[in-house]
Amino acid sequence: MRDPDAVLDADAESIADGRARLIEAELSRAGLGLVLRMGDRGSGLLLDRLVRLLAIRHPRAFVAMREMPDARVLIEPTDARVALLLRVGPELSLRLRPCQARKDGAAATDGMADAVISGPYARLLDLLEGRIDGDALFFRRELSIAGDTALIVALRNTLDGEEMDLLADALSFAGPLASLLPVLRRNAGPLLDRLADARRLLPPPLKWGIARIEARLPGFGPGREA
Amino acid sequence: MDRFELICPAGTPAALRAAVEAGADAVYLGFRDETNARNFPGLNFTRQDLAESIAFAHARRVQVFVAINTYPEAGNLAPWHRAVDDAARLKADAVILADLGLLDYAARTHPELRLHLSVQASAANAEAIRLYRDAFGVRRIVLPRVLTVPEIAKLNAEVDVETEVFVFGGLCPMAEGRCSLSSYATGLSPNKQGVCSPASHVRYEPRGKALASTLGGFTINVFGEGENAGYPTLCKGRFVARDTAAYLFEEPTSLNAMDLLPELKSAGVRALKIEGRQRGKAYIGAVVRAYREALDAFAAGRPVPRIDLQAMVEGGTQTTGAYTRAWR
Repeated sequence: MRDPDAVLDADAESIADGRARLIEAELSRAGLGLVLRMGDRGSGLLLDRLVRLLAIRHPRAFVAMREMPDARVLIEPTDARVALLLRVGPELSLRLRPCQARKDGAAATDGMADAVISGPYARLLDLLEGRIDGDALFFRRELSIAGDTALIVALRNTLDGEEMDLLADALSFAGPLASLLPVLRRNAGPLLDRLADARRLLPPPLKWGIARIEARLPGFGPGREA
Repeated sequence: MDRFELICPAGTPAALRAAVEAGADAVYLGFRDETNARNFPGLNFTRQDLAESIAFAHARRVQVFVAINTYPEAGNLAPWHRAVDDAARLKADAVILADLGLLDYAARTHPELRLHLSVQASAANAEAIRLYRDAFGVRRIVLPRVLTVPEIAKLNAEVDVETEVFVFGGLCPMAEGRCSLSSYATGLSPNKQGVCSPASHVRYEPRGKALASTLGGFTINVFGEGENAGYPTLCKGRFVARDTAAYLFEEPTSLNAMDLLPELKSAGVRALKIEGRQRGKAYIGAVVRAYREALDAFAAGRPVPRIDLQAMVEGGTQTTGAYTRAWR
């Protein structure tokens, strides 16, 4: 019964390179840190625009999120300085909050959020895009949840039912530059190899200087993944 | 030698596409209401989703089965009847039912519709299976996960109805469709509302470096630091008696019968089913791909490859369950 000629989505294959994914995660984490520095008003305007854009690209998921009861979910990376506060329901919105070094979902009980999902940033990004199974992460204790479990399950199922590529969606702001993303993804592996080779050849003071600059990037927090 | 059919779960249209692309022969799913046994928030298919998903699957020669496998409430049959009518109208390849009255309705109203008996009916002996076949024309029985392989072989020798068995995923060790443990703790029934351990009644609480899971206020388990976690189902709860914490019925573990393909084939099983409509499309893609590879190798007479699915399973452990263990 199965069509033996059926092939997997070529796009999914082309971005399977783990190194490309890692650099995407690092860049988006740094990007979120920069947006946080714009202040509440500036970042709010930008995020409202992003939500409108995502709603156009993924109407099924966004209609479903607007139909949920009003509630807030804090998506809190354990290895970044910025967290996402998603409000579902008729007043759907996305805001950034500085991570407060909370432990084990404390935000669920202090009024900021009804539920908290926390884990490594790259894992959370994979989860939001449905690239990884949230239950498997939870079983392995890489992901922790607190607060309203039904809210988290509903959100997870809604987002998992969508085929999202958040970086491509966000870059669609950038007009023609968005077309560079597939090229970068295809060439990320060789490009990273060349950059690593070049970095090894640099004199030590330059290497230390680059490391210091990386450490100061706002999205790069403590304990980031190698 | 007939090939096994690979029956795969989908909780969303995206998961259905993942299952089809990974090599499913058929996908099973449910509507967004209490008519199916995976009635979780944000999950399942609208009528429009089903129409589009059937078109997608049929274009790739993959079948779609609709699970309508909870038990209708007295005086409120309409949602279940509508579900059967809509599955037939939208050209589902089969409906998976458990309730006697609903089987009767489907057989009388849609005689052309293929009927499968859900695992929720817990049909575990030849007489029961003959009754479902003779009275309603049931063509396939999904066997409960409490039978050993020799028992399945004996059943298949006694009745000429196709059998389907679970080979991977969550392992229910109870008499399915008759378990009231979750109802006791939450007031909501897996069998009537389609919710075993409903998310609305589940909480996860940190206790120092441990993680406690609770259901309806009852502590079901406390996972130590670094210990793999599981769902808060009472049948897999760890309880303290005489100061000793121990699992009463079953540990948090997942079924994986990939090593039993020759035995299941010899036992006359027609179809192999993967559990997990509530799981994400990444799980479905990975598990279906692994089983497709294993079944293709088995059908071609090649050694079945050892495929690591450890990262996907509850509790981080796998078992062949009742198939090889007589724990009843």
